[in-house]
Amino acid sequence: MANTSTLARGGGNPPASGRPPTRSRRRTKASGMPEWVIPYVLLIPGLLVIAGLLLYPTIQMVIMSFQKVGLRQIRGVPAESVGTENYTQIFESEIFWSSLRNTVTFAVVTVALTLILGTAVGTLLNRLSRKMSTFVVVGIMSAWAVPPVAQGVIWRWLFDADAGIINWALNLLPDWFSELLFGRSDWTGEPWLNDAFTIYLVLIVCVVWASFPFIAVSVLAGLKGIPAELYEAARVDGSGAWRTFRTITLPLLRPVFAVLTILSIIWNFKVFSQLYVLMGGPNNREAFNLSMFSFAEAFRSPPKMGSGAAIAVVLTLLLLVVTAFYVRQIVKTEEM
Amino acid sequence: MKFTKIAVATATTAALALGLAACGSSEPATETAPKADASAGGKKFAGETLTLWRLGESNPAAQKYTDALVAAFEAETGAKTKVEWIPWPQVNDKFTAAAAGGAGPDVTEIGNDQVPLWRSQDALHPITAVFGGGDHAQIPKNLLSLETDGGEIYAAPWGAGTRAVLYRKDWFDELKIEAPKTWDEVIAAAKKIQEKKGKDVDGFAFNGGSDANHLLGALAWAEGGEYALKEGDKWVGKLTDPAFKAGFDTYTKIVTEGLSSKSRLGQNSADIRTRFANGKVGMYLTAGWDIATIKEESSGKVAEDQLAFFPLPSKSGGAAPAFFGGNDIAVWNDAKNKDLATEFVKFSTTKEWAGRYASEGGLLPIYPEQLEKLKEDPAQAPFAEAFANAKALPADSNWTEAGETKAVLQNAARSVIEGKATADEALAKANTELEEILNQQ
Repeated sequence: MANTSTLARGGGNPPASGRPPTRSRRRTKASGMPEWVIPYVLLIPGLLVIAGLLLYPTIQMVIMSFQKVGLRQIRGVPAESVGTENYTQIFESEIFWSSLRNTVTFAVVTVALTLILGTAVGTLLNRLSRKMSTFVVVGIMSAWAVPPVAQGVIWRWLFDADAGIINWALNLLPDWFSELLFGRSDWTGEPWLNDAFTIYLVLIVCVVWASFPFIAVSVLAGLKGIPAELYEAARVDGSGAWRTFRTITLPLLRPVFAVLTILSIIWNFKVFSQLYVLMGGPNNREAFNLSMFSFAEAFRSPPKMGSGAAIAVVLTLLLLVVTAFYVRQIVKTEEM
Repeated sequence: MKFTKIAVATATTAALALGLAACGSSEPATETAPKADASAGGKKFAGETLTLWRLGESNPAAQKYTDALVAAFEAETGAKTKVEWIPWPQVNDKFTAAAAGGAGPDVTEIGNDQVPLWRSQDALHPITAVFGGGDHAQIPKNLLSLETDGGEIYAAPWGAGTRAVLYRKDWFDELKIEAPKTWDEVIAAAKKIQEKKGKDVDGFAFNGGSDANHLLGALAWAEGGEYALKEGDKWVGKLTDPAFKAGFDTYTKIVTEGLSSKSRLGQNSADIRTRFANGKVGMYLTAGWDIATIKEESSGKVAEDQLAFFPLPSKSGGAAPAFFGGNDIAVWNDAKNKDLATEFVKFSTTKEWAGRYASEGGLLPIYPEQLEKLKEDPAQAPFAEAFANAKALPADSNWTEAGETKAVLQNAARSVIEGKATADEALAKANTELEEILNQQ
């Protein structure tokens, strides 16, 4: 697959350029720049955009995390530096530790579930006929395409205590079955979105539902790139389905999984919109994750942008460490 | 394995980009300021426009009053007024955005307990001169305590709003329940309503949202409890006192005894009102202005004659001290023309317009002579009675953070109701936190 695309891309050029050396010399003269500079010059606009949109706010955020920034400061009073006070304050806060626990637990569970479900569905899609596969892909991708706030609203309604379809459906189960499974048979008015634990249960379902399609489709794309001969050989050698998956599919898809895992970790660490909608705003402190805690500190009145920024810095560093660790692991296994 | 390297590099870049993007600061939304359109000549402020923020829902009564006020002000000064309505639960967030983004109102209605906070954020402009003479000199000085800071007055009282229990009179008549005189009667009435009107109806709705302290406060004050008292220049929390705890128990029992569903621990009075308008609530604590909104929200299904108020009774009988609320009107510090804005505040709080604001909006008037007259009105009597022993929440600019943003007591109640802590544990923790917040600089 990789070869084909390289050929296709390069295909248009070589026959057309009759005298490549002359053309390149002429171009150097016209711009007055040595050839090696050109790639860097071409990168400048992109770098400027990144610097303006990412670097500057990030630096501002780090600076703010060492300052006391409230409304007065935004309105023109110069912000005073408070040293590391914002950090000591958040590290002493109980909410910070419960948010950290929620963030990490949620990310671990959700990344694992999303990847497992996504891979399973991807493998299934690979076996389906073309028509059926397209049908399923369109179906699941429409879940993926739902905007985060709408995802939250959908699941909030499904799990609503009085009017939700989940409680209604659980009540339809035969009593003995429900009793056997959950130890209770009456689900009328069960408040799913009160307690931190059940809020996260719903949140996990919601996020997995919306993010496994992307994994499934990516895995499908990877599978299509694995030569059929390998599977044929495996079959001839009498390898079972699970063994084939472990010894052929998994190693060949490792690069795909690497990217997908890192992206999933990042997405799930900073989930915000769905949680905001499910909780109905930052009300239940026990169910905060770090993004929600940062938002509540920074933007609810009276705004404390300094400590909000400090939490954001911690979250960023945490993500960088996790990502760096993971990337290192991949590089290491590659080298062996 | 070149592909892997590329994949890893791409992923790392993406990781950095996304991770950083997640933490970038976002600008608060701004609204476009109204453009002045030239019209009407001769008057002092002819051709000028100012923006007024009214708080709450624009029910017909409030809309009618505001239209009349705006028209009268234009006739007097020539200035046009653009009115925007901000629902109560959003007020602090809207003010925050306005103060940060600079696109706020010129004049705004404001809760009297919110004045210290917004004054401390430099968001209000002093209007001390207004009280120098005329009608305004007759406003009792104790109505200006939250509004005064460092010898300057930052907001003008517009109407006093206290709280009483709004109930479905038609249900009470149908089920032959008398308006409760003690807290036990409230519980009995609530249970009877739930029995006859369905399990999903809240007999007496629990408020655990942003304005939960109106209910909890009243119940705690009734027992003689206090949130915090200022000793010297420091606040000392009183949440662990037996008196406060008794009120807190009454509060959490609203849910644990089943008068209100456990699934709605976070609802504020606006959420409750919506459910009330849909016939899902029997009683709840609120202010007089909700009647007009309920009529509107239920599209006439719940009419005025089906509703009535009684003062919240304390456990031992008699009216519990109600939350001393009130609505003020103030000049926003970013007002384009502060003279014009001050003029509007002065005009709207004269005896005529403040009087109409109170009588048409279901509030109590701020002028003593009007208040005397009101006590004869049977519909307003529950409020006048509650107002007689109304109490305020701790007067500190940090109170909003404790009472709404950090929701200290709402969270304490939640952990008790869910059985995660005993009332003693939860209140001890809340007390420490309350002191921390109130005493921070």
